Amino acid sequence: MNTAAVKELLYKIADDQLILGHRNSEWTGLGPLLEEDIAFSSMAQDKIGHSLTFYELLHEMGEENPDKIAFLRKSRDFKNCQLVELPNTDYAFSLIRHFLYDTAELQRMKLLANSEIDMIRERAAKVKGELVYHTMHANTWLKKLGNGTEESIEKMQVALDQLMPYALGMFEPSVYEEELVKNKIFAGEKILQDLWWNDVRKIINSTKLVLKDISDYPVVFGGRTGEHTNHLQVLLEEMSEVINIDPNAEW
Amino acid sequence: MKDSLDPRIKPLERENYLSKSSPDQLHTYEVFVQPKEGKPYEHVGIVHAADLEMAFVFAKELFSRRNSCVGMWVVKTSDVWVTEYTEGEDNIFSHFEKNVDGGEIEYEVFLLPKRGKQHRHVSRVKTKSPDAAIGLLYHKDSSLKGYNVWVCESEKFFKSNQEIKQIWDTLPDKGFRDALAYKAGDKLKNFLKK
Repeated sequence: MNTAAVKELLYKIADDQLILGHRNSEWTGLGPLLEEDIAFSSMAQDKIGHSLTFYELLHEMGEENPDKIAFLRKSRDFKNCQLVELPNTDYAFSLIRHFLYDTAELQRMKLLANSEIDMIRERAAKVKGELVYHTMHANTWLKKLGNGTEESIEKMQVALDQLMPYALGMFEPSVYEEELVKNKIFAGEKILQDLWWNDVRKIINSTKLVLKDISDYPVVFGGRTGEHTNHLQVLLEEMSEVINIDPNAEW
Repeated sequence: MKDSLDPRIKPLERENYLSKSSPDQLHTYEVFVQPKEGKPYEHVGIVHAADLEMAFVFAKELFSRRNSCVGMWVVKTSDVWVTEYTEGEDNIFSHFEKNVDGGEIEYEVFLLPKRGKQHRHVSRVKTKSPDAAIGLLYHKDSSLKGYNVWVCESEKFFKSNQEIKQIWDTLPDKGFRDALAYKAGDKLKNFLKK
């Protein structure tokens, strides 16, 4: 087994979860209605919990402890896709991102639940259950607002058009792609993207939102190799503000 | 029967009421939770939502974030048929005529066994009307006792199925959501000792 390939896979998964978990938690207290505020915050907490699951696994493989991995790395060391680091604008933006990301994440966990590596398989199977709820939440909102008023459809369409190029960046192939596929650790980004596109189309086609041909969208790569927007650095500074006062404090 | 003091049931009367005729775009939905396999579904509360599916989505996080849960049912409040409340020795079932009439509508029946408790699912029956459902149940089991009954057509519910159930699989691991898990008191004590 190529350890570097597995570590890279785990880093990108966990970094996506941590950064999106943080972004979504920014809605806490500001949600459009109380029930939704609680649900969205709770899912943000789930995401941070998911990242912990995979950072722990990395720690077992010799990496730093999860707190240090999460809070004390520089932005160029993060392997998350750019989709998850973009700052929130309106709620339609966050819902569309939640939908595009979680649809992929559920499929990714389903694939990893068949991984040759026991530790990955077990953790993916566990995370998968919570993602069934996350995607149910996303799909329900998509169908509601995507079939709602002129205003809601317009806002969702704008967010969808804006985020699709970044969403396709989730599937940026790794240099270890062949290695992972050959060793049955992970089925690969290409297969994942196909499964995702199928699910995305199914939901979007049940709304009044419009999807282009997948090849008609530009694709924003870079995140997986540490190339990020400036928004990530700002997020990391805020997220690590407390730990940076005293990195060795007990809390 | 006393008038309810609950403002949701009997709003305060005001002159020149300023709100629109429908003060809320959302409806209320009743939420029932199955705490463990084999246990009956119990009423846990109400959620506001735009439709039944969204009510389930909200109810999941509102009512099963901390406590154990293996299943959830949600139904629109206005789809629940309710009896009057009885007091003391007055058994609500004695207000209904026992019957054996069949029918094709499937109903879920919930009973309030004691004042101060929650309504609990007692049976699913096929008959022709809500009061026939209560009469039929009483006919089958005359030991039934309680203070209030809710009856609702089965098909009006959103019910979690086997596929959905896995959303609660990790609930037992979420002890950190309990305030006790922070052990703030212990941490403070240790800190002060230092």
